[in-house]
Amino acid sequence: MIPHLLKLIWNKKKAHALLIVEIWASFMVLFGLATLIVVNVRNYREPLGFTYENVWAIGLKSNQDTTDLANKLQRVQQRLKAYPDVESVSRMSNNFPFSANSTNNGIEYKKRKVLADFYVTDEAFAKTLDIAVPAGRWYRNADSVGKYTPVVINQKTKDELFGDENPLGKVIGERFKVVGLIDNFKAKGEFMSNKPAVFELMKADAIWNDTMLIKVKPGTDAILEAKIVKDIASMVTGWNVEVDYLTDSRKNQHNLVLVPIIIALIVCSFLLINVALGLFGVLNLSIAKRRGEIGLRRALGATSGGISTQFIGEIWVLATFALLIGLLFAAQFPLLNVFDLQAGVYVTAIGVSILIIYVLVTVCALFPSQQAAMIQPATALHEE
Amino acid sequence: MLLNYIKIAWKVLLRHPFYTFITLFGISLTLTVLMVLTSFLDHLIGSHYPETKRDRSLYIMQMQLNDSSRTSRQSGPMSFKFLTDYAKSLKTPERVTICTLINSSNAYVGSQKIKLNTKFTDADFWRVADFEFLEGKPYNEQTIASGENVAVITDDLKKHYFENSSESVLGKDIEIETIHYKVIGVVKGSPVTRPFTYADVYFPYTAPKSNYQRNDMRGGYVAIILAKNESDRKEIQDEFQSHIDRIPFPGVQDGFKYATLEVKSEPYLENFMGPLLDGNAGLKTIFFGVIAFILFMLMGLPAINLVNVNISRIMERASEIGIRKAFGAPIRTLMWQFIVENIFITLIGGVIALILTVIVIHLINTSGWIAYADLTININVFLISLFVSLIFGLLSGVLPALRMSKLNIAEALRG
Repeated sequence: MIPHLLKLIWNKKKAHALLIVEIWASFMVLFGLATLIVVNVRNYREPLGFTYENVWAIGLKSNQDTTDLANKLQRVQQRLKAYPDVESVSRMSNNFPFSANSTNNGIEYKKRKVLADFYVTDEAFAKTLDIAVPAGRWYRNADSVGKYTPVVINQKTKDELFGDENPLGKVIGERFKVVGLIDNFKAKGEFMSNKPAVFELMKADAIWNDTMLIKVKPGTDAILEAKIVKDIASMVTGWNVEVDYLTDSRKNQHNLVLVPIIIALIVCSFLLINVALGLFGVLNLSIAKRRGEIGLRRALGATSGGISTQFIGEIWVLATFALLIGLLFAAQFPLLNVFDLQAGVYVTAIGVSILIIYVLVTVCALFPSQQAAMIQPATALHEE
Repeated sequence: MLLNYIKIAWKVLLRHPFYTFITLFGISLTLTVLMVLTSFLDHLIGSHYPETKRDRSLYIMQMQLNDSSRTSRQSGPMSFKFLTDYAKSLKTPERVTICTLINSSNAYVGSQKIKLNTKFTDADFWRVADFEFLEGKPYNEQTIASGENVAVITDDLKKHYFENSSESVLGKDIEIETIHYKVIGVVKGSPVTRPFTYADVYFPYTAPKSNYQRNDMRGGYVAIILAKNESDRKEIQDEFQSHIDRIPFPGVQDGFKYATLEVKSEPYLENFMGPLLDGNAGLKTIFFGVIAFILFMLMGLPAINLVNVNISRIMERASEIGIRKAFGAPIRTLMWQFIVENIFITLIGGVIALILTVIVIHLINTSGWIAYADLTININVFLISLFVSLIFGLLSGVLPALRMSKLNIAEALRG
């Protein structure tokens, strides 16, 4: 049956060329969209690694004030701890979770190099964001006296830098000593891929780490916020104080990912509806034109089921041609490792797109082929 | 003759409502997507409120410093002092304004927090940007010199901050980060997509926390240069460049030793595209590759689809063509007829698309997705889409018509 169908399609290759191009193009569009979605769904399923509810980020900017900044920052931190509604306060660099800022540095261990996100934090950081430390411990402010700066790394850093070795106590980059290991840390939200992260203990006299993360009791509202802003403003005059709720910042980060996907989805579904309608129309007409042939086959004893199977089979062969061409293109992505994505992502995307294409052409061919199957041999042959 | 073709086209359309629907669906939705996209682009880069003089403006947004080995660089907005020295002093332009990009801040009303975007500007800002004042007036050089804490707010902020927003708020007090400002004007806001003019509150540059006193070259300020007329812009760019060339090399900025310094005054489109075009060649290729691919898919797929549907439709009319050919109609006449027919249906699709676009644009404008969004179908956008419609009509008309004209009479008459 299949060689026969192939022959049928081949005989009309000129008439079918445009259909093949159309299915091929739809496949490419679907492949692009599916890759985008698969990547993000995969990322989304990995745990975030910390909690962000009821955490606020207070950004401070000293502006024209240049005197005694370290001391002032420490006083602000002490003041924040004193509020009864504030559970914990941590000071860190301005790349706080879900922020638009990021800092990364290359680190090295035994010739293995990793580009990791660097966060400069203090001892309260893990408590403020509820980060579990399964191996080792989170550093304490008192640890800053040693020769090496204590760091905590995440699992991803460990995998890429140490492999199966135990990282605890090892010195990396000639300056840092690993004291703890945490699981994931996806600072830019659920849709971000899990990247290597290194947490470095902040020096007490650092003046550029001017973000305070505070965890407040549930149900705390802007009244406390206004009070905090007012208090800080009166302590350090001329400074900017900006409060961000991490839940809001997270929404912004998510929108950055979701809005393009939604636009792409809308445009793609419009393209596919367009293609489906076109396919349907073309199939409808071409089957109507082959009434004579169908009538003859029926008269020679073909069942109506056989007729509709034939037409669906034909469109499948057509779709397979188009998909083979499409695969030639799509296979380059995993082979050449484009955009540094895992091959699995592309393979899944290809699989999903192929499935959708087959469903699409089957649905489009179903109605016309059923019409064809209902043709009475007597009427069809009479017309002829 | 033309009228006759259109009549035939109309009859043909009515004979097969389903195919007419497919064709119109394809054309009108494709055009709608294109028109909404062009309208959005026009919103981003065209001259609209309050930057209505964008076509004779130059924008200075980024300074880039490179070290001698070109391995590290710093870039970003400039200081007030730098722009005063090198841009404000230009002779050729009509005026120059210096303002910050968007800064953010918060205000509190009871247990409510209002997220604010603030902007520090000089007095010329109000002459370069054409804001519509609903109440009061902008600050001028005297207000700035007297050092009062004044602010111009948008109608949106007025509604959120003041309880009774129907009365005038001139002279009232607004507290932002514990500093009190006197409201001297209320303007109709600018959309967030215009970073040079968008803000909720505008302060004179002498207001607290503006950092205008900085002595470095880098800072938070940008500038808009308004030329007397469009053709002056080249001359202004040259003059500005000659000012920049006076800066001695190498120099030190914030502990960073730089060997080259680059500041450009550019028309808005180039300034907008700058970060994208500035990247290395590979990035550029990928960027334009992706755009070309999207455009190809957006236009190409529906076009192939149309061609497909049209071929089927025309082949169905083989007997009609056969008869006309048998009676001596030359190929040229037949082709002309089909092209006219296709252009006709494309134009109908275009009209539907226009209506759909109006609806979509209205939805975007009222949804609050972009505050103060003012997407419009202007003449440019309409002409582009009309042109695109015609290309579509020809694309999907010529190919089937060519194939049809090659049919031989006997075969065509058999049907």
